[in-house]
Amino acid sequence: MSIIPELAAMEGVIAAGEYSYRGDRFTCEGDMTDDMARMASIMCRSTSLAVHMQMDMIKNLGHDCGCAPARGWIVNGDKFSVCVIANHFCFIQNDDVSLNSVMSYMRENVPDQEGQLV
Amino acid sequence: MSDLNKLIAVEGAVGAFKFTSKGELAESKIADGSGLNEQILDLLCHVCVANMSIATMQARGWENMTGMKGFYPIKGFTMVGFDWTVIVNEEFGVVVPNSQVDYEAAHAALAG
Amino acid sequence: MIKRLLAIDGIMAICHFRDDGALVEGYGMPDELLGGFAKFAHDYKRLVQGNADQLSMFTQMNGWTPPGGWVVEGDGVAVASIGNLACLMNTKEASKNEVMKELEEASHW
Repeated sequence: MSIIPELAAMEGVIAAGEYSYRGDRFTCEGDMTDDMARMASIMCRSTSLAVHMQMDMIKNLGHDCGCAPARGWIVNGDKFSVCVIANHFCFIQNDDVSLNSVMSYMRENVPDQEGQLV
Repeated sequence: MSDLNKLIAVEGAVGAFKFTSKGELAESKIADGSGLNEQILDLLCHVCVANMSIATMQARGWENMTGMKGFYPIKGFTMVGFDWTVIVNEEFGVVVPNSQVDYEAAHAALAG
Repeated sequence: MIKRLLAIDGIMAICHFRDDGALVEGYGMPDELLGGFAKFAHDYKRLVQGNADQLSMFTQMNGWTPPGGWVVEGDGVAVASIGNLACLMNTKEASKNEVMKELEEASHW
């Protein structure tokens, strides 16, 4: 059962989506064109890959401090932010939404990703 | 602007740090028993600066392509690790266990 | 076959990695390090690919992707990769032009 419709319906959420780990498919609901959603999924997939690699590297450098595998990331823009957990992404308006509630919802409802998949 | 005392006072914070624009650790405060050390924080700073940089490229590209403004300039990056989360702006950062993380409080502390 | 690349001036280690990051073969460093070198090279290849894809997408300019390879240059050593080959070189002793040309050729073997 996808959480995308509920996520997209949360107040202050611009759009929410999910991409396949292979990068060949995406779905998105909200105020975004297909082209924008495709770009968003490419950007999010690329950053998630980088974050995974970075955390694995810190672990492999001998600092097994609970950092890896990475679960997700947030980037805060001037007026909106992007939240990603596993292969789910969510664009939110900074002023109209509680970052904590969106992230809690995502962390509770999106299963962790397997390193091999990323 | 923030300072390390304010950041380490964020509920649950196990580490607070300041870094240079090149990603080098400049100052830090680490809670006893956290398992963090300056070497880890230095690596984290580099990772965060790299991601802020990539996000800036994405913000520029996104705004040019879509006309949807509000992404640039990038104000912060958060990485949700397996057990803990690191939240940074362009100069300071704080590490909080996932179980206690309050993103909004951390951002408020980072904003000073 | 790739072992002969070690004869090139300045090349300290060479590895061939699979598309899943596993080591196919490698020379020039202890076995326990070669697996890590292959994984690093594979991860870095994907990272560069991701960034090149975005550059291509945002600039709408052809010719960036798929990327042919990458070089990361440190103070005294550099890592260079073409295709699924990566090498570690001493930057004072190696000619980057020669190394990249040889890697390019070897990546088609």
